[in-house]
Amino acid sequence: VLYFLFYSFLPAPTQLSQDQLEAEERTRAQTSQSTALVSTRREPPPYGSRKGWVPRSLEDFGDGGAFPEIHVAQYPLDMGRKKKTSNALAVQVDAEGKIKYDAIARQGQGKDKVIFSKYTDLLPKEVLNDDAPELQRPDEEAVRELTEKTRAALEKQVSQKIAAAMPVRAADKQAPAQYIRYTPSQQGVAFNSGAKQRVIRMVEMQKDPMEPPRFKINKKIPRGPPSPPAPVMHSPSRKMTVKEQQEWKIPPCISNWKNAKGYTIPLDKRLAADGRGLQTVHINENFAKLAEALYIADRKAREAVEMRAQVEKKMAQKEKEKKEERLRELAKMARDRRAGIKGHGEKGGEDGEVRERDEIRHDRRKERQHDRNISRAAPDKRSKLQRDQDRDISELIALGQPNPRVSSEAQYDQRLFNQSRGMDSGFAGGEDEIYNVYDQPFKSGRDMAQNMYRPSKNADKDMYGDDLDTLMQSSRFVPDREFSGTDHGPRRDGPVQFEEDPFGLDKFLEEAKQHGGSKRPSTSGRSKDYDHEKKRRKE
Amino acid sequence: SFGVKWFVEVQKHSVHTLLFRSLKRTHDMFVSDHAKPQASLTLQCCLGVALTADTQLQKMPSEAGVQSMALALPPSQARQDAVRTAASVGDIHRHAGGAERSQPPQHTLALMEGGGMKNTALVPRKAPTMPKPQWHPPWKLYRVISGHLGWVRSIAVEPGNQWFVTGSADRTIKIWDLASGKLKLSLTGHISTVRGVAVSSRSPYLFSCGEDKQVKCWDLEYNKVIRHYHGHLSAVYDLDLHPTIDVLVTCSRDATARVWDIRTKANVHTLTGHTNTVATVKCQNSEPQIITGSHDTTIRLWDLIAGKTRATLTNHKKSVRAVVLHPRQYTFASGSPDNIKQWKFPDGNFIQNLSGHNAIINTLAVNSDGVLVSGADNGTVHLWDWRTGYNFQRIHAVVQPGSLDSESGIFACVFDHSESRLITAEADKTIKVYKEDDTATEETHPINWKPEIIKRKRF
Repeated sequence: VLYFLFYSFLPAPTQLSQDQLEAEERTRAQTSQSTALVSTRREPPPYGSRKGWVPRSLEDFGDGGAFPEIHVAQYPLDMGRKKKTSNALAVQVDAEGKIKYDAIARQGQGKDKVIFSKYTDLLPKEVLNDDAPELQRPDEEAVRELTEKTRAALEKQVSQKIAAAMPVRAADKQAPAQYIRYTPSQQGVAFNSGAKQRVIRMVEMQKDPMEPPRFKINKKIPRGPPSPPAPVMHSPSRKMTVKEQQEWKIPPCISNWKNAKGYTIPLDKRLAADGRGLQTVHINENFAKLAEALYIADRKAREAVEMRAQVEKKMAQKEKEKKEERLRELAKMARDRRAGIKGHGEKGGEDGEVRERDEIRHDRRKERQHDRNISRAAPDKRSKLQRDQDRDISELIALGQPNPRVSSEAQYDQRLFNQSRGMDSGFAGGEDEIYNVYDQPFKSGRDMAQNMYRPSKNADKDMYGDDLDTLMQSSRFVPDREFSGTDHGPRRDGPVQFEEDPFGLDKFLEEAKQHGGSKRPSTSGRSKDYDHEKKRRKE
Repeated sequence: SFGVKWFVEVQKHSVHTLLFRSLKRTHDMFVSDHAKPQASLTLQCCLGVALTADTQLQKMPSEAGVQSMALALPPSQARQDAVRTAASVGDIHRHAGGAERSQPPQHTLALMEGGGMKNTALVPRKAPTMPKPQWHPPWKLYRVISGHLGWVRSIAVEPGNQWFVTGSADRTIKIWDLASGKLKLSLTGHISTVRGVAVSSRSPYLFSCGEDKQVKCWDLEYNKVIRHYHGHLSAVYDLDLHPTIDVLVTCSRDATARVWDIRTKANVHTLTGHTNTVATVKCQNSEPQIITGSHDTTIRLWDLIAGKTRATLTNHKKSVRAVVLHPRQYTFASGSPDNIKQWKFPDGNFIQNLSGHNAIINTLAVNSDGVLVSGADNGTVHLWDWRTGYNFQRIHAVVQPGSLDSESGIFACVFDHSESRLITAEADKTIKVYKEDDTATEETHPINWKPEIIKRKRF
């Protein structure tokens, strides 16, 4: 009651409390419900009267945020929702209020990285004097400082790299411990046992000098993505026209040596690169001169040879004539001597007939003398022909003499005739034991000798000439020093030289005959042969 | 003759274009001299304050003001450099305040090319003067040294400037006297082409690398190989020594560059990241300490401490075969068949293109005077002014008698330490030495320079 009275004296408050404001609004809203033109803003219920109310849409939040007393996930202004990842960059604005379009180019880099992306970076700048301050190099102090910094950094890098190769030494001395005084932000009796500050002792962790490397560095992993590409600060390359592309066309290579795929290429293409047609061939005229000279020389030589040949022929002819003359002379002299003494006396008359008769007498006398000589020589000896006719055929064969009389008629093998003789043809009454396969000689008569091979003495006549024997006997070609294993065996007599029993078969056969085929261990080294023989025979 | 070839290529343009360009050039050349009062030349835009279209038209500065502007022009030249430095915001405000007093301050004329000018179309921004290239005397051939039996692939000059070393495709390394050009020594040991040589300034060592994957360290007191650095998987194309640390960097066809400790032969870092042959490598003592150029058309600047790429420059369209560091400036240049590009350290900001040498550039070399030499695979040598990119000379030397004309190509070029002689290693098996032509003057060899139409802005 008292304060109610008190309130009445005080002036009305100018600022209404929130609740009162809301109450006023509610009343206003209620009064203005009749006018439908006013848009209603949905306001969340005031604090205290929110029990059971759940904000569901964005408008339920009004202009405020989430309600902590309502235990439901709330997303005022859609903040806090898990968004689907998009690589869209948020639009950024620089200090002057202009949109930063090069944020795209700077995506992966730090703010300070130098990236040129504006058109103005492309334009040429004005020409400055040599002593313009922008163009001056940094002063020595800065350079020295940079040098020191760089040197230190590089030293560290290098020492790290070569430390791996250095031998193990004693453990490094650690730096002395550092003490740090730390004032935590959360102060109070409960924290840090009431103390205001802490002292921390920092010690470098000891490195074990014998420790092998901790990590495997032999694994190959693919390279990471490169840094984002820099914006291209030039206009795109001009498009190539068809004409320009044609200018740069290179024809395929046609080799004069290789043709791996075996293409068939026309000859003009094969020779295209040869350059033969481009050069004029110059032949030296001395070639023509040489040819001429040779031709002339040849002709001259031929003439000379011909002349010489003719001269020689004439000479030879003369010689022949001379010789003939001489022979004629001799013959005449001989004739004259024989019948000349007598003939000297005869005079000319009765020349023709008398002389003829004398000649006939002379000839007859000569014949008689000839026959007398022959018969006187060897009356027993027969002529060659006679002798040969009396020989046996085997002798003829042995001598290699018989020659077939080549007769004009066709000759037939006699075995071809009378082959079918009927009952008498050879059936022989069914006898089994007869053996009449070889009842006729194989090749009778004179064919034999011709078809047998007899190496003649002069088999190598065309190779070595007539006197092979003399050649063989010549001792001109005996070497001074021979090879160590030369065989001075017998020389060959014919094309095939038969050795004397190389395998000892004859001897062996003799033995076999002697022992009558019984087994006996032979002491000689021919047991193998013996066994082989036995096996062969058994088979 | 092997002399200078001047060809002014006549580019075909329409009459309108030609007229417009020549008008523009004339205007640009002379506008700073005359300082004509122009309607659009307002004080505010001189100050580099952003304007809207409404405020463009301002009242003209008074006559007195104009005259003082005209007078102030020549000395303001010197101020421009100062002005070119980034103006602080405070300065701009001060100038803005000063403009209301309608008294043109001295440096309004310094057309600030600072960033922040929004409507450039309204204001013709003119550079005060066109940067004129410095005149360099032309270089001429004065000695041809033959002796190698194969292409001469690499050259290095000894720090004392007494002799130089060449590595060749005949697998030998030859040491020649610099003054006379006579052969002093031949070293054999490589089994394939020697691609790179370097002489150490800190110890009596010579380093060589070859296509046989070998990197050799030769002791020059005994002329013998004392160390091998084993680890590359393919031909080693180039090598360089760090100027202050005893470290050797080699680059190879296996797309890596390797950093070796000279004394222990340990492979300190393997710099991977390139995707194709690394053709060239250079070392310096300030950040970034290693620069590599590769056949994958990129240049990478490396952090030697971490062994990681610091920046990748992808501006080139074709293989980068040559990289050279300016001896005094904090800049470097890279050569590729499309362009030679200049860059600024430490981040590799692109400065300008030097275009015109349309051939495979095998080598670059730079002088303290600002002469950049680019040697190409077809035997041509172009000489450029470093600052402006003006090509002041082109040389195509005649091949050695007995060689085919197609055997002309330059594989390496280097200035000696006095920067007065240029030594090139060529494909006709000779070494050619060039020197400056003393008889030439600016009149006999005038600068024939056409400035670019498009203005360069400092961004």
